[in-house]
Amino acid sequence: MDSTGYIDKHLRVLYPRFMSDPFPSLGKLLSLPQRQAIESPLDVKLFVSGPAGTGKTTAGVERMRYLLAQGIPGESILMLTPQRSLQEPYLDLLYSPERSAGGEVTPATIGGLARRMCDLFWPLAAEDAGFAHPDRPPVFLTLETAQYYMAHLVRPLLDEGYFESVTIDRNRLYSQIIDNLNKAAVIGFPHTEIGSRLDSAYHGDPAQRRVYADAQHCANLFRQYCLDHNLLDFSLQLEIFANVLWKQDIVRNYLIRNYRHLIYDNVEEDGPRAHDILRDWLPSFDSALLIYDEYAGFRYFLGADIQTGWALRELCDEQIQLQESFVMSGNVAGLSDGLIEAILPTFEGKVKEERGNSSALAIIQSHFYPELLDSVVAEVNALLSDSLLPPSQVVILTPYLSDALRFSITHRLEAKNIPWRSHRPSRSLRDEPASHALTTLAALTHPHWSVHPPKFDVAYALMQSIDGLDLVRAQLLTEIVYRQRDLELSPFENIKADMQERITFSVGNRYSLLREWLLNYRESDPLPLDHFLRKIFGEVLSQLGFGYHRNFDSVRVAASLVESVKKFRQSLESTLSVGLSDPRFPNLGQEYIQMLQDGVIAASYLEGWQAEEKDAVLVAPAHTFLMMNRPVTVQFWLDAGSSGWYERLSQPLTHPYVLSREWEPGRIWSDADDVRYGKEALARLISGLLHRCRERLYLCLSELGESGFEQRGELLRAFQKVL
Amino acid sequence: MPNFIPRPSQQEILRYSGGRLGIAAVPGAGKTHILSALAAKIIREGWLGDDQEVLIVTLVNSAVDNFEARIKKFFDNPLQALYKYRVRTLHGLAHDIVREKPARVGLEERFSIIDEREAGFIRRDSVNAWLASNSLDDYLDPSLDNSKRDWVKRDQLPDLLDSLALAFIRSAKDRLLTPESLRAKLDAFPSPLPLAELGWSIYADYQRALAYRGAVDFDDLIRLALTLLESDEEYLARLQYRYPFILEDEAQDSSLTQERILSLLSGGTPPSPFGRGAGGEGGNWVRVGDPNQAIFETFTTASPDLLRAFIENNPSIPMPESGRSQPSIIALANHLIDWVMTSHPIPEARTALSLPHIQPVPADDPQQNPPDDPEAIRFINKRFTPEEELEAVAKSVKNYLDSFAEIPIEQQPTIAILVPRNQRGVDVVNALRQRGIEPIELISSTSETRAAAGSLSYLLSYLADPSSARKLAKAYEVWRRDWREDSEKMALVSDVERALRKVGNVEDYVSPHPALSRGERGEEFPSPAGEGLGVREEAEQAIEELSAFRVVVQRWLNAVTLPIDQLILTLAQDVFTEASDLALAHKLALVLRQVADDHPDWRLPELTAELTVIAKNERRFIGFSSDDSGFDPEKHRGRVVVTTMHKAKGLEWDRVYLMSVNNYDFPSNMPGDRFISEKWFIRGGLNLEAEALAQLTALESTSEYDWYEEGAATMRSRLDYVKERLRLFYVGITRAKRDLIVTWNSGRQGDATPSLPLSELMGWWEEG
Repeated sequence: MDSTGYIDKHLRVLYPRFMSDPFPSLGKLLSLPQRQAIESPLDVKLFVSGPAGTGKTTAGVERMRYLLAQGIPGESILMLTPQRSLQEPYLDLLYSPERSAGGEVTPATIGGLARRMCDLFWPLAAEDAGFAHPDRPPVFLTLETAQYYMAHLVRPLLDEGYFESVTIDRNRLYSQIIDNLNKAAVIGFPHTEIGSRLDSAYHGDPAQRRVYADAQHCANLFRQYCLDHNLLDFSLQLEIFANVLWKQDIVRNYLIRNYRHLIYDNVEEDGPRAHDILRDWLPSFDSALLIYDEYAGFRYFLGADIQTGWALRELCDEQIQLQESFVMSGNVAGLSDGLIEAILPTFEGKVKEERGNSSALAIIQSHFYPELLDSVVAEVNALLSDSLLPPSQVVILTPYLSDALRFSITHRLEAKNIPWRSHRPSRSLRDEPASHALTTLAALTHPHWSVHPPKFDVAYALMQSIDGLDLVRAQLLTEIVYRQRDLELSPFENIKADMQERITFSVGNRYSLLREWLLNYRESDPLPLDHFLRKIFGEVLSQLGFGYHRNFDSVRVAASLVESVKKFRQSLESTLSVGLSDPRFPNLGQEYIQMLQDGVIAASYLEGWQAEEKDAVLVAPAHTFLMMNRPVTVQFWLDAGSSGWYERLSQPLTHPYVLSREWEPGRIWSDADDVRYGKEALARLISGLLHRCRERLYLCLSELGESGFEQRGELLRAFQKVL
Repeated sequence: MPNFIPRPSQQEILRYSGGRLGIAAVPGAGKTHILSALAAKIIREGWLGDDQEVLIVTLVNSAVDNFEARIKKFFDNPLQALYKYRVRTLHGLAHDIVREKPARVGLEERFSIIDEREAGFIRRDSVNAWLASNSLDDYLDPSLDNSKRDWVKRDQLPDLLDSLALAFIRSAKDRLLTPESLRAKLDAFPSPLPLAELGWSIYADYQRALAYRGAVDFDDLIRLALTLLESDEEYLARLQYRYPFILEDEAQDSSLTQERILSLLSGGTPPSPFGRGAGGEGGNWVRVGDPNQAIFETFTTASPDLLRAFIENNPSIPMPESGRSQPSIIALANHLIDWVMTSHPIPEARTALSLPHIQPVPADDPQQNPPDDPEAIRFINKRFTPEEELEAVAKSVKNYLDSFAEIPIEQQPTIAILVPRNQRGVDVVNALRQRGIEPIELISSTSETRAAAGSLSYLLSYLADPSSARKLAKAYEVWRRDWREDSEKMALVSDVERALRKVGNVEDYVSPHPALSRGERGEEFPSPAGEGLGVREEAEQAIEELSAFRVVVQRWLNAVTLPIDQLILTLAQDVFTEASDLALAHKLALVLRQVADDHPDWRLPELTAELTVIAKNERRFIGFSSDDSGFDPEKHRGRVVVTTMHKAKGLEWDRVYLMSVNNYDFPSNMPGDRFISEKWFIRGGLNLEAEALAQLTALESTSEYDWYEEGAATMRSRLDYVKERLRLFYVGITRAKRDLIVTWNSGRQGDATPSLPLSELMGWWEEG
């Protein structure tokens, strides 16, 4: 792709409105307040707020362009967002070819910054934070390695009767304890208060109560273990940064000296601890642009706090409010208002007024679920072919995206040659066929692990590895060439001629290449698992004729697998290398695969969507779409009757509101809170989604849901009122 | 209201204007109908506010569908009633309640529910673990010699303990006891309770296994719903607002927990635990049921006395008219009530049945009772051996079937053979088959369950062996299962099926040109369709059909790498359209996912085998929505349905055979009567299950006069059983519309006699 095309495409994604002008000169299309923000003097701190779709991020990106154009060195600009996916529009500018060489802008999250500072100033951190071996290097944990250590610590306690009154998958249990630690860090209270805070808001079945004490005990154990072994999970990194490093002049000066200009987007999605640090830091910047999305705060279950975010407003020199939506048509806006009124009524009658704005809302209805998917895909097809809508302008959203659902939709899309992409950060690598295939190949290549994959696994692995190999031929081939007992893979040439023909020679050739590679590798010195995966991927699987050559989804899975293995290995190797060999493992690669199969390592992939095809229909959970922060023309909402659209308030061991800063100590969380916050969350979600919708919403409703049950959640009730 | 002319008692019920109302109905009185009419009236007359619904609670899922269909009929535009009512089983309701606030009771947002089969699996593990490290020797008959003792331990105890554990765990959950709280009570109890200790140990182990999986069982769901309602007044108030009217069907089978839940929801004060009655006044709660039809197979705290007390303590309207049976059968049923109430030799058993008597419908009723025909009632007072009884009934059925073979199917009668136990049903089925009669089985899990599971297992077995043309052909048939009823389409299906069976290399059909990358395949079509198809048009149709199926198969083949649950769901979405089938497929998907997680080394063949086992009904599989999918006897005119008396509840046939009505299956606690639950190898003939539950009750009791006395529970349980069997007999009799034939046999040991109520009825009948 040449560079013009590249820019065009990305501009179209970012600024579809401007595409009427083939050589966009953005200046004339920006609103006055936007321009004010972009071109404000280089010593002014600005707070821009407004609902989604009013051009705030556009202003942010243009401000960055402006700063750079004014000769501000890139390395003195800090670009902060609460989550990496939110940086996408900025990175598009930073990585675009129009940018000439020069210092790099630092895109960061507070967590990422914390980690870098811990790394850089480790000697300062180590002693004050109470690490047992300050003289040895730190080991940074990922979510999965943290989960791994947590499992080691908590498992024995479960047998002693810990958490007896909760019914929860073990891996989810571990992750909720970690989540509590993270919340304590993000919100900014001592982790030793987790249990008592949760307990004091609890009112209900007394038998349930002791789990909070259990959760506290486990959190303490984990923290101590980390301190004893130089392990830093996310919560500890943030706490050390906030409590130890930020208070040291040397660190503070370092940051202040380096970063003179701040662009901080989606302030509302960060936690109070991040806001505290910024409150402290803000006066030292030359210029700052803080962008605050009204009616958002979707990351509340991760500790996001709109109030402490909003409070940063006072520290800025100027406040600009953007109101006019560049995105929503009047009809969509009317629909949004009507729905929100239906959920959180403010005064009588408004709902009725909004009725009849039909062009913004279309309903796709069916009795059974599969029929619904057919109709949805048919409608998408019509939009793309009749209305010539670019695929990137269509999203299919659902509260949860099960593998079966994703599979069903994307196959239907493929049948109509519609490009699609799908982000689903909550799926485990264990359930990814692509990673299953890779681990099977790994087992075949490492006979000394004594892992003997059954024929089915081998056939599936071959089917996915060799392009054009279908299941029938894959099984025929495996049946003949593979011997499970000793992992023998016999050559294609030894197969009888008629069978060779059935399997086809093109498949045979590819099999031979793969086999040869595997056998050669067996002869060589074994590499760490991640290196092995990289090698087989680079040398075979990604080549023309092999399964990963064109399947980008699988490529992404493979990449996250490699990443996950690498982090696991590094974390464990460092633990071992500092002589703290608590876990002793025969082979890290083998251990990793075991952990993956047990689900201890969730290894969900969060990264990597910068690389993916963007002009494609997005199939994603609603929340993921929100965190990508981009508008589209048409949205499909599947499972409109599901109650999953907002029920994610509480978990057995944690609670986003009770642990939040605004929660009054000792106040009981009541059913009224449940209802109120639930409705607010739903209203926020609807508003967030519709503010990112230009023209039309398709409400997709089957009387019987995916599992055949009747559905009538709150979202549907709200629609009922506006219809 | 179309097609509904209320009878006098129904008219009175429709004048309902709020509050509590108890309705004792007789068999065939039209309970579903009146409740549907009442719900429609409440909706139509605008008694509901914003976001309010009429809550209808019933026993089985088939009834849920039944209600939905009937209520809709009361409205010209079904939208008028949309979201104005909600029909749920108790499990469904509990699920709704818990689903809104799972974390409150220690559940994850998306907790899973384990079905009874899987629960049985886990419980069995716990039982085996207990047996491996404990002994029950204290309870074995000391006179057993060593070899017999070993045999009992190996062959008998696991089953006995399993059913004891099931009863114990259910009962503990019914009383809201967790393993922890039960442990505390055991520790505080002054004397040892070995069976309660045993029960606790298995319960704790079982519950830990569930928690480990992040799953709950059906009883947990109900327990947690009640816990939630009792511990969260605000939530309760919200639900009370949402459900201003509660209509409860089959209330005679309501357990204490169900009663507590509904009582709370309807705004009444909860009944005291294990006391009588439904608590104080309050709420709009209509309960309909027939206490005389309270029959239950496994232990619950259900008791018809609960409904009787409700009817006594609240405004009530009886519903005695029934157009189902001919007058002689009604007379027989009414006499059974009278005899039990006044003359049963065991005075404590006299409360088994109660009034009202059944009355025929008035002359203007659209559903008239069949004409009186005393000759159509036959008691065969011959002392058959069990085999002879089978022979005699099979012969009678054969003659009867032959007698109307010539008349049109819609005029043929409906026929059922009702037996007391599943095993006897299997014997009957075999005996009929030997005479060339193919019966309709309605024995354990329903045929729909088996058909759906069977369909999926055919698909999986193809996917496990994708180069098999035979399995491919079978998979095709499954894909077109909806065409079964259409003979023209069936012809096409069998043509295509034949063609597929003959495909030489399956890959040439399912994935031609593999060298081309996916999605770029040519249109060239291998010609499995050509041969054997006569007319050109038919051949074209077949080719079209083959192309269509190929697309589907390709999708399936690509889906095999998915985890098993998602594979099943994907397949299900292609082959099922029935709500019940989809729901069932979901259950199966969950079960298989669990199985796959528990056995990481299992692949498609093993998982298919597991599904086949379910399909063949070797293991009980009862799910949320497959309890008893609605069985309609009318759809099987001219055929013989074989089922148990329990399963026959709610159904009716023109001719009914009641078999094995002897004193073994229907004991009356007379000398010589034996009880199934009292095992010969247990000392003193103790009913261990009853004893274990009594120990549990003793733990719960606060009264110093309630203590555990060994053996007393065994005796009480006899009485409960005697009473339940009287009602079961009553249910059997009232299934018949015109013909009733009752037989008995002398039992396996040859010493059984006609059951006492049968003798009584025979005597009364002969006297005329």
